[in-house]
Amino acid sequence: MTDTTLNVDHVTKRYGSSSTEVTAVKDVSLSVKPGEIVLIMGPSGSGKTTLLSMLGALLKPTEGEIHLNGTIISALSEKHLPDIRLKQFGFIFQDFNLLSALTALENVSIVAELAGMKGVAARKKSAELLADLGLAGRLNFLPEKLSGGEKQRVAIARALINNPTLILADEPTANLDSKIGHEIMRLLRQIAKEQNRSVVIVSHDQRIKDIADHVLWLEDGQFKEIVSMAIDPVCGMSVEREKAFHLSLNGMDYYFCAKGCRDEFAADAEKYQQTNEASF
Amino acid sequence: MSLAHRNLFQDKTRLLLSVAGVALAVMLILILSGFLAGMNHQITSYLNNSPGSVMVTQKGVVNMLGATSLLPPGADVQVEAEQGVEQVIPILSQFVILDLHDKKLPAYMIGYDPGQGGGPWRIRAGREPQTDDEMVFDWVLAGRHDLSLGDSLDLMGQTFKIVGLTDGTTSWMTSFFFITRKAAENLLRTPGAVSFLLITPVEGTNSEDLIRRLDDLPGINALTKARMAANDLELFANIFSMPLRLMVAIAFLVGTMIVGLVIYTATVERQREYGVLKAIGAPNRVLYRVVTTQALFASLAGSLVGILLAYGLAGWIMGARPQFLIVLDPADMLWALLSGLGMALAAALFPARMIAGLAPAEVFRK
Ligand SMILES: Nc1ncnc2c1ncn2[C@@H]1O[C@H](COP(=O)(O)OP(=O)(O)OP(=O)(O)O)[C@@H](O)[C@H]1O
Ligand SMILES: [Mg+2]
Repeated sequence: MTDTTLNVDHVTKRYGSSSTEVTAVKDVSLSVKPGEIVLIMGPSGSGKTTLLSMLGALLKPTEGEIHLNGTIISALSEKHLPDIRLKQFGFIFQDFNLLSALTALENVSIVAELAGMKGVAARKKSAELLADLGLAGRLNFLPEKLSGGEKQRVAIARALINNPTLILADEPTANLDSKIGHEIMRLLRQIAKEQNRSVVIVSHDQRIKDIADHVLWLEDGQFKEIVSMAIDPVCGMSVEREKAFHLSLNGMDYYFCAKGCRDEFAADAEKYQQTNEASF
Repeated sequence: MSLAHRNLFQDKTRLLLSVAGVALAVMLILILSGFLAGMNHQITSYLNNSPGSVMVTQKGVVNMLGATSLLPPGADVQVEAEQGVEQVIPILSQFVILDLHDKKLPAYMIGYDPGQGGGPWRIRAGREPQTDDEMVFDWVLAGRHDLSLGDSLDLMGQTFKIVGLTDGTTSWMTSFFFITRKAAENLLRTPGAVSFLLITPVEGTNSEDLIRRLDDLPGINALTKARMAANDLELFANIFSMPLRLMVAIAFLVGTMIVGLVIYTATVERQREYGVLKAIGAPNRVLYRVVTTQALFASLAGSLVGILLAYGLAGWIMGARPQFLIVLDPADMLWALLSGLGMALAAALFPARMIAGLAPAEVFRK
């Protein structure tokens, strides 16, 4: 347990009461380690956003507990939540949600100031962070003057400015074209790995599966099966182990996107064997 | 710059509208109160500017402008004989109808003895009356009826010559004019009559005690001039002060509603942004401060503009219509700023309530 950042323990969320009651999340458990990227996928209405909101202490579970670095955040009173949200979580949204009256720099620094940093220091740190994300030339732009990808990078800077333990993103690429979306995802992965922060992403986007360490499939408020990913050694595609074509060879497991790749591999295994170390 | 200011200045038209709204409300509040103060000032101007601090009236008469007073003969001698009386000035006064050729107009006539006092306190042009066919007239009234120094005026069948014009003797309800007491006696056909005595007590005299003793004299009534002024105000000004105060209250409400509406719509429009701030970890009090600062800024800027407008408008009104006196007390500015503050706080209430009700989880909803 010591190396888990986040522990979700038999959490249920019900909205409404009696006749209008909806169970959005049913008895879900999950844990996230430092530096780990968890992707939650699932059909619309399956409870992804509800679960993410509970992870971020924006919503209280009806049942179950959520632990963050040993604190039971699901039991904290409303009074203590703003501070936890401010310092422990970084939120990234589908529609960026920047403050329209503030510049890119101010959008980031205001969050540092909320956490108690002085204005000048907050602006300096924000400027550095934005520069790291390639926005050095956009500091004084209002959000309306930024492209979607730039806005989302400002949002990422805002999420990172207080050194959060956990970054929570709901459909972060849904409003971006696929190339920019991929860049954003790579950025999130880099942040997770280099800064050892945990990242939980909710997405419909099949294309981002390859950056996740774990992919979870939520359906009707419950995880159907834990999907772990592997890379097809022949074509290099990311595939779900459980759904892939499988081959065991010399005590090793190999996964393929299609029967054709498996056949190709079987025909000349040595040629591909070096590359399959990359599975994660 | 803070978020509050950024939010405010992002929509300049809206900011301008709210500032203008408050400015107009504050201006209205100041002008109406100034008008009320001016009216009070005008109604009590004779009592406030004539000598003495105690007045003797006919028994049963407690105000100057509301009733005719006629003292019993010899009252002045009796009063003068009382201990603690330094000076006694008799006047003969009452409302009369002036025939100004084009118009009949009520005015308050004061007959006094130029040697003793009780006459005009500020002569703008000319001099006091010396003979019984001379009068001193209110300059505003004179101006409105094309009368100037040297002109003649008919009064109850007698002709008077205007020899002086006075300041501070006008009001839109009534104006004062002055003739000699002898002339007033002739006009009213009451030789030796006296309406009021203006009493200056000897320094150090207990005036309450003096009033009690004077009151005991037969047929007369004694009271302080302040009391008498208050009675006159009650009789005249209060008729107008109720509606004026009501208008002041309405102006305050309108101002509050303007700022309230502007800040509220601005907040509703940014509902999502406030929700985002909440989700990110901004506590409610920070968000309240953001909306309150916006309301405060708009209100205080509006109040300052309103004060300037009020002074401008007051000057303009009094220039164009001198019978209207608008007294803007510097203390009123404090009132204006306080009203602005009150408007801001009342106006911030609804947006703050709305923010308090925002669920941070809503930010993930599209
Ligand atoms: N505030 C709410 N009150 C009542 N029901 C709600 C509320 N929020 C969500 N629900 C319901 O809970 C279920 C799960 O919703 P949720 O938004 O978590 O799904 P989702 O997986 O994020 O969907 P999508 O992919 O469309 O964003 C849905 O049936 C939804 O209608
Ligand atoms: Mg959702």
